[in-house]
Amino acid sequence: MTSVFILMVIVVLTALAFDFTNGFHDTANAMATSIATKALTPKAAVTLCAVLNLVGAFLSVEVALTVTTAVIRIQTSTGGVRPELVTDGGFNILLILLSGLAGAIIWNILTWLWGLPSSSSHALFGALVGATIAGLGFEQVKWLGEGEHLDGVIGKVVLPALASPFIALVVSAIGTKVVFMITRGVTGRYRDTGFRWGQIGTASLLSLSHGTNDAQKTMGMVTLALIAAGQWHDLESIPLWVKVACAVAIAAGTYIGGWRIIRTMGHGLVTVSSPQGMAAEAASAAVILASSQLGFALSTTHVATGSILGTGIGVGAKVRWSVARKMVFAWLTTLPAAGAVGAVMYFIGHLIGGEAGSFTVFALICLSAGGMYWQSRRNKISHANVNEEWSEA
Amino acid sequence: MNQVLAALDASWRILLVGILLGSGLPVLFALGVRALAWGSGGDAEEHLASEVNKPSLTGRLIAYTIFTVVVLMVLCGIGYIAAHGMGIRITFDGIVPVFSQK
Repeated sequence: MTSVFILMVIVVLTALAFDFTNGFHDTANAMATSIATKALTPKAAVTLCAVLNLVGAFLSVEVALTVTTAVIRIQTSTGGVRPELVTDGGFNILLILLSGLAGAIIWNILTWLWGLPSSSSHALFGALVGATIAGLGFEQVKWLGEGEHLDGVIGKVVLPALASPFIALVVSAIGTKVVFMITRGVTGRYRDTGFRWGQIGTASLLSLSHGTNDAQKTMGMVTLALIAAGQWHDLESIPLWVKVACAVAIAAGTYIGGWRIIRTMGHGLVTVSSPQGMAAEAASAAVILASSQLGFALSTTHVATGSILGTGIGVGAKVRWSVARKMVFAWLTTLPAAGAVGAVMYFIGHLIGGEAGSFTVFALICLSAGGMYWQSRRNKISHANVNEEWSEA
Repeated sequence: MNQVLAALDASWRILLVGILLGSGLPVLFALGVRALAWGSGGDAEEHLASEVNKPSLTGRLIAYTIFTVVVLMVLCGIGYIAAHGMGIRITFDGIVPVFSQK
């Protein structure tokens, strides 16, 4: 076995691990409010979400090969790897992919430890940018799109991140306000029971759309690794086992449930009732679907958070702005922080070189993931205590 | 600067569709819940202890009609996600959706 082949296997495993973190990081986006209002029990919510993610992952047959082209220039427009970059057999490109995935995984687990919802796709893009700067130089990063076409770090990541939480907030606030006006005079208990059913519908819609969008990114990354290593040549399709593995990885992650993040989103920002939950989820679903129609690359996490804030504002409820500020801080730091980890990982892998270098990077991912998991055991949050009263601490 | 303008252009469209569908769906659902409360009678609506809330057939019929529309909207959403995944482009140049293979 050549060192390129071994590195390729490591990249594939790491990509699936990223897909898994992507799953548990984003369970909250679809299910946090349904769990908080007890429309679904915590276990039922993650099960439903996982199944729909799995279905969603298989639903999308589009070839998502061009996943990295949004922010870096290592691919041709058809999805192949630029031939001048694989003259070394693809080792350097694979190391960049590995370092990018490493940065994204480490940032995802760290923000999970803190209970902060941050965007998995931003973590991936940020870390890929960092690793590319380290491996190929500054000019191989696509910072800006051309003309009116939204592209690059600014057009695909920064601008949508600035706009989307506000759009979701406004939509959700309007929905919530009108809903409460209409249901005035209906007994609280009767109203809440009715809206729990609505919540299940909107939450399902969100879970399904998550599966179709996010699993594709990992499928693209894995196939790109295979292409770079010369193990796959078809640019029109992706191997079936890649599709199955990615779908299962994201569904398994979703099922595990990022309880720390679910808790923050369901209880940390505002105390939501079921009409608010449905208004927030419907707002998120509409904004996400409208954006995908327009090719506006926004992050589900930002939209879901904006919607939950909006629903609190809509009824004039108390919003814990201290928690919201922490989230915004995490969003602002995601890109540079994941980028820095990605770059450091590349340097480490490159300095040690060869198989030893790639094993070291892989070991570092495992070590930091294990360390953070161990740290999380100190104040464990699970399906059993996810709905406990929020205390300011 | 072109990128900022393009993002703003996309944003207001998303905001418009968002308000229409994203606020519209829960508002419609709320109307359904309101009608169903009227249709159910009893303690579904707030009332004075001396009053009796009688169930109303009209209320229930309105409620079920509304809920059917809501379910259809959600199904359309699922259909949209599925079609997008299958590589079918759906455009809404008129209000009527047009399907075409990408």
